[in-house]
Amino acid sequence: MNSRNAKVDHGTAVSALTPKKSSAMVDCHQAAILSWMDDIAPYGILTTDTELRIESWNEWLETHSGVAAPLAIGRSLLELFPDLCERKIDEQFRRALSGEIIVLSAAFHEYLLPFPSSLRESVSARMQQTARIAPLSYNNELCGTITIIEDVSQRESQAALLARRHERDQLLSSCLAHLLRARDPDNVVRELFSKIAAHLGVHTFLNYLIEPDGQNLRLHAAGGISEELMPDFKRVRLGDSLCGTVAAERRLIVANHLQGSSNANTVGFKALGFRSAVCHPLIVGDRLIGALAFASRNRDAFRPEDIEFVGTVSQYIAVALERAMTESALHEAQQTLREHAQQLETKVHERTARLQDTIAQLESFSYTVAHDLRAPIRSLKGYSDMLLSDAEPITPEKAKQYLQRINRAADRLDALTRDLLQFSSVSRQDIELATINLSELIQDLRVLRPALQDDVLFVKEPLHSVVGNRTLLQQCLSNLLDNSLKFMAPGMKPRIMLWTEKIRASENQILQLQPTGQGSTVAALSRDDLVQSELSPTQAGESERIRIWIEDNGIGIAAEMRHKVFGIFERLNPADKYEGTGIGLAIVARAMQRMGGNCGVEGGNGPGSRFWLELNVACD
Amino acid sequence: MELTESQRDALTELINIGYGRAANALSELTGYRVSLEVPKVAIHAIGETTELLREVISGEVASVNQVFSGPVAGHALLLFDDRAAILLAELLTDETIPSRKIDTSVREIITEVGNILLNACLGVFGNQLRVHVAFSVPRISVDSVEGVLHSITVRDQELRYALMIHMRFHLRAKNVEGYMIIILGVTSLERLLDELKHWERRQVA
Repeated sequence: MNSRNAKVDHGTAVSALTPKKSSAMVDCHQAAILSWMDDIAPYGILTTDTELRIESWNEWLETHSGVAAPLAIGRSLLELFPDLCERKIDEQFRRALSGEIIVLSAAFHEYLLPFPSSLRESVSARMQQTARIAPLSYNNELCGTITIIEDVSQRESQAALLARRHERDQLLSSCLAHLLRARDPDNVVRELFSKIAAHLGVHTFLNYLIEPDGQNLRLHAAGGISEELMPDFKRVRLGDSLCGTVAAERRLIVANHLQGSSNANTVGFKALGFRSAVCHPLIVGDRLIGALAFASRNRDAFRPEDIEFVGTVSQYIAVALERAMTESALHEAQQTLREHAQQLETKVHERTARLQDTIAQLESFSYTVAHDLRAPIRSLKGYSDMLLSDAEPITPEKAKQYLQRINRAADRLDALTRDLLQFSSVSRQDIELATINLSELIQDLRVLRPALQDDVLFVKEPLHSVVGNRTLLQQCLSNLLDNSLKFMAPGMKPRIMLWTEKIRASENQILQLQPTGQGSTVAALSRDDLVQSELSPTQAGESERIRIWIEDNGIGIAAEMRHKVFGIFERLNPADKYEGTGIGLAIVARAMQRMGGNCGVEGGNGPGSRFWLELNVACD
Repeated sequence: MELTESQRDALTELINIGYGRAANALSELTGYRVSLEVPKVAIHAIGETTELLREVISGEVASVNQVFSGPVAGHALLLFDDRAAILLAELLTDETIPSRKIDTSVREIITEVGNILLNACLGVFGNQLRVHVAFSVPRISVDSVEGVLHSITVRDQELRYALMIHMRFHLRAKNVEGYMIIILGVTSLERLLDELKHWERRQVA
């Protein structure tokens, strides 16, 4: 008896569901339809009685279950498929027996009856099914259930493939977006590796970067490798093992069915139990960056779409890693530069300190020398004076001349040591800065220097007040005015102009150490000196300064000599014409420096010189 | 026609009984705790229903339609807009629907969910109201609100009233809203309300 004959009875059962024509002919007709459906329907159709014993079992079911109809019919459905109870699906059949129609989707239940998959590529998997279970009644009396099963494996597999592609596209675009906007591509890349491995369904990944020597690869990131094995992977020679070969030959290697392979490059992977691996070189333009490998212990082969995916990802990652490497190199260079600058600054500090120490020692030495010289000079002068006056009658004329020369030399030596002492005291003494009224100061000077009368020194009032040390500024002005009086062409009446001018000086200009402009010389000024001056009127980059100008009608200073005038012992004129020690202007320069000021000289409008002293303006 | 206060209470209670069963079935099926609420029940003339639904559901709707027959006969419909349908499918299966469309998989999930809910709801007619109804196979369609209702009423001119049941799924800390609509003819509605009265009396007794 074949399966079809066994099910003829159910034609009458099904007829109960259709509009009634109430005739035996209709029953026959329905039976024919059912029989025909059994033959060709691409569905599993089974019916049971109210005890869930199988009453019909169509050809589709025979084909897919491997159970022939005669073996199925008459048996309890729940006995034939015990997992129906385990999965609580027997409940659904019972509900159908209470009159409900039941829908079972593959999404929730995967399958109704456990048949092997109809897809070639998933031999081991189960057929995905949707099912409808409905009550069967005849003449308003329930006589069993009917179940229709549809194979949705193909559809589900297509949907899964589609979902996978979608996931892959999303992963790729998210990789790209992350890498493009990442400030720290290196870290982003490390995070991405795990995501990519998860998508590929593998646990192990290895990322190598080429070392600067171009001969070795260094492990940059890895996952799925135990700590004990890690040292073996730390470094790979170009050309060795899977990743080394990929990098050396700059080509993709797919190593499927590793366990059956005897390829020398994959021996290491094989020994670790990997069944498949894929390794892609990381290349940007012509530049080899490294290699990226994924390996699986669970599957024998990577799918073509996985390999393509690894290829695309490798390109993205190569670009990102190259960026990371470039940035890291830049960072290192900047760091080196910073360290170098730091060293340089330290050296400058050390040398400055040594220099200042030396200067201090030298100043101390010159002070001692000058100070200690004064007593013998006074003796020299005293005794030569005594000889000239007391022994005058017995001294021959020639000897008198010699004595006078000794006397003059002693005077000169005395002046020199006095000036030297003054210079050294200007350098060494503690100074306090205060507001100085220039007009008052000039008035005092006139008292001390009778030569500076109104027809000689012309002061253009009003004069600005400045910040400085009164004693030092008085010293500076008297030195400059003395020079103006002294360096006069024979027969000329000295005319000296003095005025002040408010100027804006940027910090840079104030601190400028040794510039020489067109015929202009500025004396040295140290930053430390300026900082000591707490009365600095403005702290901004630009500050207001006062220039005190002194212009005379003297012999002037040749433009090419102006840069020398503030140096110690610099004398531009022969001593026999103009007396002097060559220390006066050096004292001016040093005093101005101590007061946080500046000084300089320019050519005058006519003959003569124009000296200037520059100090911070006083707050009125 | 409007439901009286007591009719509305009784209907809400009845449907809650059905939903209790459906929520249990869904929880068991998915392994997640699913609860169902019935915030609102109302009766409207079929002509008004389209307009009312259009206010709350825009665009395409996934509808599961199950015809039932017997002393109380009509159509039971479950409606979700496309976003709710996809979200519900994702929450129930814990899988993402990458296409964001009501694809075959979503249709099938919604069909099974609809089947469970409609069976549970119509089941209480039999269990509680003692009105036996016979079920048909649930059918899913994806159409506009007008399209869905039109296809039903055009086939059966008798259908005049719609029992609109607003419902809310709560699972995995999310809410998904949908509507169940039971479309009835005059006779069926009268019988239903009669049986409801009897049921209430039995409850009190």
